[in-house]
Amino acid sequence: MPLGNVVEVHDLAKSFGDVRAVDGVSFSVRRGEIYGLLGPNGAGKTTTIRMTIGIVTPDRGEAYIMGYNVHKEPVKARSFIGVVPEISNPYVDLTVWENLMLVGEIYCVPKRIRVKRAKNLLKMLKIYEARNRKAKVLSKGMRRRLLLAMALMGDPDILFLDEPTSGLDVISARMIRSLLLELKEQGKTIILTTHNIDEAGMLCDRVAIMNRGKVIARGTPEELKIRFGEYARILLCFDREIDAKLIRKHFDSYEVIVQGRRLAIICRSKDLRDVLEQIVQVTNEYSLSIEELRASGLNFEDIFVRLVEGLG
Amino acid sequence: MRFEEIRQFLYRIWVLCLKDMKLYYFKGPTIVMGILMPLFVWLAFVAGRGFSFTESLPALITLASFFVSSSITPIVMPWEARQKSLEMLLSKPVTIYIVLLGTALASSIFGIFISSVLVTIGLLLNVIPRDLISLALGIAVSSLCYSFMGLVFSAIPSDVPADAVMLSSAVRLPLIFVSGIFIPVHSLPHYVKPLAFISPLTYFSDLIKNAYGYSSLLSPSIDVIALLLLTIIFAALALAANKRTLTRRL
Repeated sequence: MPLGNVVEVHDLAKSFGDVRAVDGVSFSVRRGEIYGLLGPNGAGKTTTIRMTIGIVTPDRGEAYIMGYNVHKEPVKARSFIGVVPEISNPYVDLTVWENLMLVGEIYCVPKRIRVKRAKNLLKMLKIYEARNRKAKVLSKGMRRRLLLAMALMGDPDILFLDEPTSGLDVISARMIRSLLLELKEQGKTIILTTHNIDEAGMLCDRVAIMNRGKVIARGTPEELKIRFGEYARILLCFDREIDAKLIRKHFDSYEVIVQGRRLAIICRSKDLRDVLEQIVQVTNEYSLSIEELRASGLNFEDIFVRLVEGLG
Repeated sequence: MRFEEIRQFLYRIWVLCLKDMKLYYFKGPTIVMGILMPLFVWLAFVAGRGFSFTESLPALITLASFFVSSSITPIVMPWEARQKSLEMLLSKPVTIYIVLLGTALASSIFGIFISSVLVTIGLLLNVIPRDLISLALGIAVSSLCYSFMGLVFSAIPSDVPADAVMLSSAVRLPLIFVSGIFIPVHSLPHYVKPLAFISPLTYFSDLIKNAYGYSSLLSPSIDVIALLLLTIIFAALALAANKRTLTRRL
């Protein structure tokens, strides 16, 4: 394993019946970085994570955590990691405190440290007051925070998070994001899957974009933006609602998004002049007034969509 | 494995055993059912047939140990899969084997506890076993054997606990009738006899009859060896089958 890589994944593949969920995925994660696995639903992100942490056996390929093969030495490999699976629960009939103690015991953390660490984590995640409540009465956001606390009970070097903010309200999601950045500051390595592109752009040092079980692009969000630097995005806001069909007819060789009074056009930078001329033509033809016009490079979401839809 | 790894392996089994005991076993309703269910089956056989308590206590202990140790194990895995806590647990430094061994240990301890309550009631009513060591060994080994037997049924690739309960009941209930608890093995029809010899209940029933001074079919040592062999077979089956169905369960 190259120096500095704490997770190495080589050629992982898994099929469920006739469905090939993951097909030859490889990636490596450096110590202290936040690595994002991005992709639409069904891209194979969760299966990849499950194989990487060793709870699903791959049809082929290998995964290493801190140099340990997760399928040959699962206990050793997992003693370095904390995991928050996407769809998972704490033990709902145990209290918040009992759940944390249970996980601390599984990680063989001595009692004195266990108690201290649990208190700190509960305070940091703002669920200390709920420590004597059974997990079944917690809200979704609090349950997610408890799962994160449980993942941190073993003071892991590497944290795996599968859709960490999925289904959470804005406040809880923001809290988890800032906590992840704090954990990165502390030197933890974080691997997260998400289909929230803004979140990935905000948090990740590097990303791998998955679609249909394969990695279709990888790099830093900035590198991907540069790769798509030849593209421009024009945003317009008219004085009244526009007919999507008519507009699409005028811009049929470009990617167009119409929403009420708003129009977004994605085109190559070299075509910018033509597009602007056409905008003027459309404006005159339908007696529209432009209230707002902005041109910029592609954002991360545009890049993601182009990659997943095979437009890049 | 080094000493520290073995210690951690055993400690994790114990931690998960305590978790299962807390979540599934040492709760009022489970304890009451653990005593009531075998009690009702026992009453159905002995009521009105002129058996004294002394004569029928071995049958009651056999039934209690069997029902209690094999009732909860089939549902733990499907239940935890349904509750979505299984994936959370398996992402910690444990393997499916550690999880299953913890479950089997919890179930065995519960079986030993309920059987011990019945033995104690017997002692209070002056029903004294002749061979306490055989009795204790038999209760311990058979409880473990029944726990692993229950875990075999838990491998059903479903997260509906009722599916596992149905399957286990379909196998466990007929065993009561072919294992010499109420009808001696030599009185069974010849086509049923082979079943008696692959049933762990037969050996435990025989062992416990011997321990209380009644006539038995085999020597206690053969009963214990047979129970140990069946324990190993059920344990191997349970571990392999549950590992095989794990991916479909998550």
